[in-house]
Amino acid sequence: MFARFLGKEYQRKQALSRAAPGPLADYLATPFPDKHSDCRDIRMVAIDLETTGLDPNKDDILSIGLVEIDGWGVKLGTSWHRIVRVEKAIPGESAVIHQITDDQSAAGAPIEELLPEVLGRVAGKPIVVHYSPIEQNFLSAACKKLYGAPFVVPIIDTLEIGQRVFERRNHLIQPGDLRLFNLRPRYNLPQYKAHNALSDALATAELFLAMADNLYPEAPCPLGEFLSKR
Amino acid sequence: MEVELIEIRQFLAQRNPFNYLSTELLDELPKDIEIRYLRRGSTFPPKEGFLYLVRSGAVEIFDGHGELCEKLDEGALYSVTCQLVNFSQCEKGEAVEDTLLYMLGCERLKSLCRESKAFSEHFSSTVKERLKAAVTKVQESSDDPTVAAMMVSVGSLIRKEPITIRSGMTIRETAALMSNKDVSSVMVMQGDELVGLVTDRDLRKRCVAIGLTGSEPIDQIMTPDPETIEATTLTAQALMLMTRKRFHHLPVTRDGKLVGMITATDLANHQSSNSAYLAADVRKAKTVQDLVDVSSRLPKLHLNLAAASVTARHIGEAVSCLTDSITGRLLEMAEQQLGEPPVPYVWMAGGSQARHEQSSHSDQDNALLLSDDFDETEHDAYFAALAKFVSDGLDACGFVYCPGDAMATNPEWRQPLRVWQGYFNKWIEAPEPKSVMLSSIFFDLRPVKGDMDLFVPLQQNILSKSQKNRIFLAYMMANALSHRPPLGFFRQFVLERGGDHEHTLDLKHKGIVPITDIARVLALSLGKEPVNTVDRLRACAGTEALSDEMAENLEDALEFIATLRILHQAEQIKRGQKADNYVPPDELSELEREHLKHAFKVIQTMQESMGKRFGADNLG
Repeated sequence: MFARFLGKEYQRKQALSRAAPGPLADYLATPFPDKHSDCRDIRMVAIDLETTGLDPNKDDILSIGLVEIDGWGVKLGTSWHRIVRVEKAIPGESAVIHQITDDQSAAGAPIEELLPEVLGRVAGKPIVVHYSPIEQNFLSAACKKLYGAPFVVPIIDTLEIGQRVFERRNHLIQPGDLRLFNLRPRYNLPQYKAHNALSDALATAELFLAMADNLYPEAPCPLGEFLSKR
Repeated sequence: MEVELIEIRQFLAQRNPFNYLSTELLDELPKDIEIRYLRRGSTFPPKEGFLYLVRSGAVEIFDGHGELCEKLDEGALYSVTCQLVNFSQCEKGEAVEDTLLYMLGCERLKSLCRESKAFSEHFSSTVKERLKAAVTKVQESSDDPTVAAMMVSVGSLIRKEPITIRSGMTIRETAALMSNKDVSSVMVMQGDELVGLVTDRDLRKRCVAIGLTGSEPIDQIMTPDPETIEATTLTAQALMLMTRKRFHHLPVTRDGKLVGMITATDLANHQSSNSAYLAADVRKAKTVQDLVDVSSRLPKLHLNLAAASVTARHIGEAVSCLTDSITGRLLEMAEQQLGEPPVPYVWMAGGSQARHEQSSHSDQDNALLLSDDFDETEHDAYFAALAKFVSDGLDACGFVYCPGDAMATNPEWRQPLRVWQGYFNKWIEAPEPKSVMLSSIFFDLRPVKGDMDLFVPLQQNILSKSQKNRIFLAYMMANALSHRPPLGFFRQFVLERGGDHEHTLDLKHKGIVPITDIARVLALSLGKEPVNTVDRLRACAGTEALSDEMAENLEDALEFIATLRILHQAEQIKRGQKADNYVPPDELSELEREHLKHAFKVIQTMQESMGKRFGADNLG
């Protein structure tokens, strides 16, 4: 209950003490970077999930895309994208957005096979996401179910940063302003046509680099300033 | 590759030179890319050892003096830090917009270069090769219907077997054969070898007129070792050769074997609006109005030659030759009206006509060089009238009066040799802004008609004086460097601003003039006689001042820019507009823009080296 006020490192150790030996425990055993470190010096992972809905207890992860930021550049060689095999039928209304069909999903891998890979790639790094509740809650729910402990991770949320920038400038936020693809043009970033977990993760990674450079043009660019309170 | 990176693959696949890579290589490429963001104002490149591709935004690159070299915008490549070619002095820059960069390690770039030749040529081939290819491409892509007519080869116009005679036959036998076969010329053979050419005109001028009996061997009056032309040569190019050399007949060979004869008349019949035809009409012209009529066909000639892929250089020669002919004919008419000149004179052309680089209707630049027997009170009325007649005639023909009054009608430029010598001595020994301003006209000077010998001492004096005078050369070079090529021309800020030519690129002053100016100073510094820019470059090539390679690069750059200008003007003529030098960038293809940038880079490199060499930098 009070974990939120005690910091991520505390949460990580707490979770580690509860996690069964295995991928999550290994993940939790890796310390997080110090919040005083410079963003430009540390590795991060931009991640995006496509899901069948918004409720982590009822809905499923459909696909996972991630790409690493290292040395303040997005390394496309680290990009990774997987479709998750979902046992239930995919609701039609969500398929319109993520374009993943039942057949494609059936050809994917079960989440228990994919999660260790995700944890291995994220270990020791903050994640960069756009609207953190989805990624955090769905991954955490999956971890709890499979390993008995939550997914604790330092989070950088580009939506939150965008909101802060708007508020700081006293700009009224219009509906849709904070969506990933409406924020990008403000930083002169190109529009990517494809929408899938990987291209959205990449789009988020680029957006974060742009936002951070604009907020902290000169070194240092303290990690702590960007970490989500969630 | 993760298929989800398809977007990055697509972006690469659409760009030169990535479009040359195989599907497999393109599929693999995205994973080697690193993406970086540069906020506006950030230093570029962010790090060494990468090829950069601008995904969005814009970057400006500067040289050591803070001058803008290049502007990279979406899709532009920057490979300087990979040092594939030792070329650029322009290494540092800054993002002028928020910019997203795709980066590829130099090692990966080099491995791609090893895997695809076409790809590697983009980076490693010499600028020369790329410009050459570009010139051909621009010329080939011309789609005018008149091309069909002009793309015919000389060989296809030959109607008769070659008419030949053996060396040693008499003049009379030759005349009989020509009359018998109804031809205006025959080729003289020794075995299988062509040794001479005889025409109707030779029979009249070299035999009948000087009272030969006709029993002399034909070898006595033939033109020995005539030039020949390959059957595959395009008619347009044959025309150029004939116009330039003032030939009327040309033996045609195929694989070295004689196959026939082509005459200017054949070509004229084939294509009526060509320069040989016009030249003939100029000679026949009785009145100034006749000349105006002939001259009104010049734009059409320009159009046809451009459509027929005749090189820019040859079009310049063709037009200048015609201007020479028109000038010559006007002088003849003036002399008919005014009587014999009281003292010898030579009519001199300056500027582009002198350089054989005229395009359609340029301004007229001319001057009169008179014998030192000239007495102003006694003779000037005659030459003033002569100058007025010719200058008015040229203006009527479309070669409008020179706005700077550099014409023989101006008493200052109608002077005896001693005064001209004085002018040049002053210009060279005590250079001042005016002499530098006049340099593009009077340091490109060529005698057109009259007593050509008058010109020789003047030219010798100019060349020997200017060669020795470093201060003069430094002034000239400083002037030559005042026209800088626009390396970021596709952005508005370097395009012409205001007036009728807003947002266009001035190909003449930004591309052609800088090369012409440099060639002039080089030629003067080395005492070389040629006036034509390409001839000057070739004459100066292989010296300490100008390497062979640089000379070739400049020649190719000039040809490329001049070709673009000619095509632009041809388009305007087709639309019934007045031809100009201002090209809107949208008129150029992406590839042409890229090549143009390379041409500009050649000029820039040259300007830098010349500035240092001639100490022009110090004159500011």
